[in-house]
Amino acid sequence: MKITRIAGVSVSAIFKHKVRTFLIVLAIMVGVATITVIMALTRGANKKIMQRINNFGPDAIMIHSGGGKLEGPATASEANLTKKDIADIENIDGVTLVSPFQVALDMPIKYGNKFTTSWVWGIKSNWKDAWKRGATKGEFISDADNEQLSKVCVIGQTAVKDLFGTSDPIGESILIENTSFKVIGILEKRGQAPVGADFDNLIVIPFTTASRRLMNQPLYIAMARAIVINPSAVKKVAAQIRDVLRANHNMADTEEDDFRITSPVEITKMIKSTSRTLNNFLWLVGIISPLVGGIVLMNIMLMAVSERKKEIGLRRAVGAKKKHIIFQFLAESLMLAFAGGIFGAVTGIVVTVMLAHSGKPVVITWQPFAAAFIFSAAIGLFFGIYPAKKAAALDPANALTQ
Amino acid sequence: MIEFKDVTKSFTSGIVKTDVLKGLNFRIDKGEFVAIMATSGTGKTTLLNILGCLMKASSGSYLFEGRDIETLNDDQLSEIRNKKMGFVFQSFNLLEKTSAIDNVLLPLVYSDVYPSDAEQKAAKLLESVGLKDRINYKPGELSGGQQQRVAIARALINDPAFILADEPTGNLDAVSAKEIMGIFKSLHSQGKTIIVVTHDINIARQAARIIFLKDGKVEKEEVLK
Repeated sequence: MKITRIAGVSVSAIFKHKVRTFLIVLAIMVGVATITVIMALTRGANKKIMQRINNFGPDAIMIHSGGGKLEGPATASEANLTKKDIADIENIDGVTLVSPFQVALDMPIKYGNKFTTSWVWGIKSNWKDAWKRGATKGEFISDADNEQLSKVCVIGQTAVKDLFGTSDPIGESILIENTSFKVIGILEKRGQAPVGADFDNLIVIPFTTASRRLMNQPLYIAMARAIVINPSAVKKVAAQIRDVLRANHNMADTEEDDFRITSPVEITKMIKSTSRTLNNFLWLVGIISPLVGGIVLMNIMLMAVSERKKEIGLRRAVGAKKKHIIFQFLAESLMLAFAGGIFGAVTGIVVTVMLAHSGKPVVITWQPFAAAFIFSAAIGLFFGIYPAKKAAALDPANALTQ
Repeated sequence: MIEFKDVTKSFTSGIVKTDVLKGLNFRIDKGEFVAIMATSGTGKTTLLNILGCLMKASSGSYLFEGRDIETLNDDQLSEIRNKKMGFVFQSFNLLEKTSAIDNVLLPLVYSDVYPSDAEQKAAKLLESVGLKDRINYKPGELSGGQQQRVAIARALINDPAFILADEPTGNLDAVSAKEIMGIFKSLHSQGKTIIVVTHDINIARQAARIIFLKDGKVEKEEVLK
């Protein structure tokens, strides 16, 4: 076949001009590797957002005391939610349950000579249902614990690791800010909170014990978590909760909320806004990088054409048609671009794996290879056609005398 | 058969128009060994390009085996060059870093049919020009005379009707020049049509007929044998 013979000419040119081949492949490789890494990072970031939303709970609404603040939990010292607030929220249509809790951040925890800090939350027994999170081992906080103001706690796995290492914590006593609590269970693992904090560095104790013994907040409630029947109704219910709280707190229309409501809608918005600038920048780099690779390819191919004028003239003299010359140079560009694409995808995967090891969330799929294929074909064709046409357009008589 | 009828060629550079060929008339029959004698600046290169179908005349007609070259398109001209002509250049024009045999095979890359015995044929041609043991040598490893012999073998691979040589001995020493002309003579005796364009009267005198070119016109013709 004539076409395979001409493709053979392209292949041998690729092997005869090693420096040129190396430079083009390198340029395309960098471009495709960039795209590959960016795809993995973006998919990783999206997966992380989904995970955080799932951690938060797609059917949950959080009510924080105090307004103004943008993120993070409200603590017992700023608590301003009342028992009536909680009861009124419970009565809203579509709300299945409301679980109030007290919050203290970074409390000093001691066990023997070990020391750590942890969030301490005072909770009701329905916390388990509101967070879909109970004890993996031992008991959970019960209604009786709340009635008796028991000094018991269920501790998160980070605290377990920090204080007990590998030994069994159940039945041991720990000091939370100098008050002794008996460990009755270990909390289920949860991972990162939407705001980025470690959800496993948490110790829960009975609500009443927290209010009266530990946080000195017998009147008000720091936070509550409401669960709705239908996740799609979250926005509507959140608005109703706001109306109820504003009415209960006797707020004038001009006043700003003295509480804050967060739902998965806000969480998504919050995470996306912090990553948007970076994402746009990444994609810009991702587009520019292969483009630069393509320009390098075109540049070097143009140089190759003017360097090989005499060869082109000779080929024309012995009978090559214009289309043969176009095919020869286009095939050269395409093969170089593909080689760059393959190396680029492999390099991209290697870099991605390295990023994954350094803790960045990434997702590796088949798509980078498809993208590398499409990108390098597009680059090879788009940036290769002009040099190829230029080569074919050379006047054979002139080219021969170069 | 080649026939030139009032062939002219002019080039325009900016507003200056230069007439290089000013009405050429000659004919070359099949099997002839013709030298076209032209000193530089008399349109030798231009004539060669038109003869070789690498360029079209400005006016007049060039009949190649009865076909008017003027009416053919670029692809058809490529086919004529591929099948009907073999070029031999002053500077050999071999592909660098490419073995002698692959250089000889070059025209076949662009042929519609690639004979199954192409390699044997190329090897045989190299043998016939005395390069039997140089088949896989690259141009850089060959002397000037040897390179020109590779070029002649390349010109013959497609069994062309015409061999068109442009100062084939211009870059060679006296001994090699004599050998190359010897090859042309033997090709002529085998029935090939040879056209040698040269400015060297001693080379021209080895042909059977000389066409003298002067000032873009045929000055005279001289039949030697």
